[in-house]
Amino acid sequence: MATISVNGTKREVQASTDTPLLYVLRNELELSGPQFGCGLAQCGACSVLLDGKEIRSCTTTLAAVGTKEITTLEGLPARWAHQKGLSSSELHPVQQAWIEEQVPLCGFCQNGMMIKATELLEQNASPSVSEIKDAFTKSGPSAHLCRCGSYTAIIAAVQLASMQMAKGGAR
Amino acid sequence: MNRRNQTSVYGAALTRRGFVKTGGALMVGFGVAGTGVFESSSKAATMRNTLDASLPESWIEIHPDNTILIRTGKSDFGQSTTFTAYRQIVAEELNASFDAITTVVMGDTDRTPDGSGAFDFLGSGTPNIRKAAAYTYQALLDLASQRLGVPKASISVKDGVASGGGKSMPYGELVKGQQLKLTIPVKGDLTSPMGLTVDGNPPMKPVSEYTVIGKSFRNSVTASKVAAKEQWATDVRLPGMLHARIVHPKTLGSTLVQVGTLDKSKFPNAQVVVKGNLVGVVAPTEWEAIRAADQVASGTKWKDWKGLPGHARLFDFLKRDADWKTTRVTKSDKSKDDVSPAMSKASKKLTANYQMPFIKHAPLGPTMALADVRKDGTIYIYTHNQNPQALRGEIAMMLATQPDNIVVRTLSGPGHYGRSNGGNAGAEDEAVILSQAVGKPVRVQWMRPEDFQWSTQSPASMSDVEIGLDANGKIAAYQIDHYMPAMQDDRPIGAVLAGLPTMAAPNEKGVFIGSTVNDISDPWIYDGVVNIVERGHGTFQVGEKSSPLTVGLRDHSLRTPGQFQQNFPRELAITEAAALAGADSIQFRIDHTKPDSKDGERVINVLKSVREASGWETRTSRAKSTGSVLRGQGVSVMFRSGTYWACVAQIAVTPSTGAITVEKVTVAVDPGIVVNPMQLKRQVEGGTVMGVSIALLEELQFDESGITTRDWRTYPILKMADIPEIKVVLLNRPEVGTYGGGSEAANALAAPAIASALFDATGKIVRRLPLKPEYVQAALKA
Repeated sequence: MATISVNGTKREVQASTDTPLLYVLRNELELSGPQFGCGLAQCGACSVLLDGKEIRSCTTTLAAVGTKEITTLEGLPARWAHQKGLSSSELHPVQQAWIEEQVPLCGFCQNGMMIKATELLEQNASPSVSEIKDAFTKSGPSAHLCRCGSYTAIIAAVQLASMQMAKGGAR
Repeated sequence: MNRRNQTSVYGAALTRRGFVKTGGALMVGFGVAGTGVFESSSKAATMRNTLDASLPESWIEIHPDNTILIRTGKSDFGQSTTFTAYRQIVAEELNASFDAITTVVMGDTDRTPDGSGAFDFLGSGTPNIRKAAAYTYQALLDLASQRLGVPKASISVKDGVASGGGKSMPYGELVKGQQLKLTIPVKGDLTSPMGLTVDGNPPMKPVSEYTVIGKSFRNSVTASKVAAKEQWATDVRLPGMLHARIVHPKTLGSTLVQVGTLDKSKFPNAQVVVKGNLVGVVAPTEWEAIRAADQVASGTKWKDWKGLPGHARLFDFLKRDADWKTTRVTKSDKSKDDVSPAMSKASKKLTANYQMPFIKHAPLGPTMALADVRKDGTIYIYTHNQNPQALRGEIAMMLATQPDNIVVRTLSGPGHYGRSNGGNAGAEDEAVILSQAVGKPVRVQWMRPEDFQWSTQSPASMSDVEIGLDANGKIAAYQIDHYMPAMQDDRPIGAVLAGLPTMAAPNEKGVFIGSTVNDISDPWIYDGVVNIVERGHGTFQVGEKSSPLTVGLRDHSLRTPGQFQQNFPRELAITEAAALAGADSIQFRIDHTKPDSKDGERVINVLKSVREASGWETRTSRAKSTGSVLRGQGVSVMFRSGTYWACVAQIAVTPSTGAITVEKVTVAVDPGIVVNPMQLKRQVEGGTVMGVSIALLEELQFDESGITTRDWRTYPILKMADIPEIKVVLLNRPEVGTYGGGSEAANALAAPAIASALFDATGKIVRRLPLKPEYVQAALKA
């Protein structure tokens, strides 16, 4: 049994501490953002933020998480609201941009893509195209993979989100 | 069926039974004729857990609040078609607004009427849902005529409001407390891969009056996926459900010798299930199931088997050892009996062999399914599947039961690109077998290596081409022979392993999908050339005959199935022929196409469009590129599902390493009418990225026993840093009067264009995919 902090709330979980975080998030906490893609930290479908840094929940054990703050796709709107001192936000600007640019094809990888975009934009408010490509290809345990080929749309959406965030948020 | 008061309307049998209160919804139903699961439209009662095709609510519901619900058996896997194009098409035919269609019911076998797979969504311009809407519109006009008291011909409808004789009534009010029953002929077999087809010829709205089609509406599912509110197949949990992992055989031909003993001290809640050669481990938690399965696997003994050629020997095997004699040879419609007289007179000749490897569909998420075999014999399956009705038929066959007893619910999941179009992707039947064995709902999730090693692949192929040029540098004769193992093995793998009934493996006697026959799938578009022969040679799946499991390398269709395998050699050969003729590669194609034929005009138009948009350098000799990095350009053309495509790739290659950078890909698309420009553009961009990935990187690795590709390191796909600039040119041609498909062909265009560009840059032709650095480097040195 362990207590973890997920999207601003302390949660007590039953899983043994050697359990990868992904199974805890999906099966015990019934979160549907992070997806099982490979279980090998090779694709990024399961990404979450751990104290603001993207990690792969499929290979990060419950023990390794400790008391650090986990943010999943579900937690992005509240994360944005907190950062901007808003009472609430329906969506994070990254999510809004993903809709406006119609990014997802099947959408299975997009959890990790939005997590990576959020991490990037929190560190670099207006990344260039090559910085975006670098972030999604080289900055984590592996490149973030999209089999449907949505990379072009992702780049457009990150740029749109960057503009919206500079203006203070989604329209 | 009650045939009294029946009139025939455009092929539909319109039955008036008076207007009955049915909760206020106008519902239009369809009967079934032909060889289907249902005997005929006169049989009101159909299978259990099936939409009764003679009942009204099967296709379209119009509600008193003016909202509209549509149902389709087509499962959208990211094409966006059912959530955008289908709504646009229905809105158009009903003269309703796009936003009025608030609900799309998709794929579920007990909630949708027509079955079939996730392909050819736009049905060559007339998908089932369009005809259903057109029939419904006629019924609505009849109703409006009666309610407004004016002749049908004087009714007009705009935004879902019918007007006539100075009065008007919105659809919602029109249908309140009313029912109109239509019985429309439908042909086909619901649980066959092709499903049902709506028959008849209802009047369709003239293209000139379109107001909804052609606009960039958003995909209504996007918002829920982005906000983590979508229910994915991976999210479904049932009370008492157990998690399962499969212990797959050691090789693709290994039978079980002994199952490993489960260590109950470590995994007290786990349980092993064995049926034939299918070994599953179930446990209440997923982590326990994973670890227990690993522990059981380590102690499980399998017979060894070696029956595959290994990927290094693949093409030697296909040339020398494969049986191409048992399966009949096919010929395209346009083929002559013999082109050898013309070929022998040619002044220049190209003779070449082209090779394409096995490639994986490689969905981003491994296959999974949750099955609930209930005590009353009803089976529920929750999964992501491109053809749920076909799965239903397969599960019924496996358990020797009726499809009545089976319900397949399909939810969002990773793109399959054709892999489950035959009804299964791997986990579905295994979940059913395990659930039946333990008497509880069971969720089977494959791990990443299994998804590479136990799923189907797109078959390898090779082609022999001969092109003869006359003295003027024109093609005097063209001959191509395509060789490819069977492409569509729809046997559920769990059933095969468990020794339960399945359809036969593809064989020479099989028809259509169950056959080893290699049909000509790439329509000839250079109609200025008539001296052609196109032949298809088929064979059994590699290793299947010698595998005691009858497994081997199982194949399944992948976007542009068979056509990619035939288009790559054709297009690269045409480029080579252009060079032999001393002609520009695009102009050579234009010069072999009739400008005044219906097809020719569109082929020439896409070629000219792509030439202009890409910045193509028109020249009759290859690129004058020198230095350590060489640059070149290449073109490819394809016709598929009513749509004409042309592509230009501009690349840079470093001969010392063999590394290719695809700098820019330009795609021109003429589908006739562009239904939704934004969604089509995204589909083309996505397909182009996947196509570049296939061209540069993808090749199944296997040894004599099985597939050695096991993860994203051994099966790399294109990463964001390596994508080209992509330019999409949408050619909207309303005068064509219909809309072609847009979700597949982009995948196939890049490879021949890139290989052509490599030739342009280096003068060396590489006729084998993928264009990996090591292969390219070796070819450039040769």
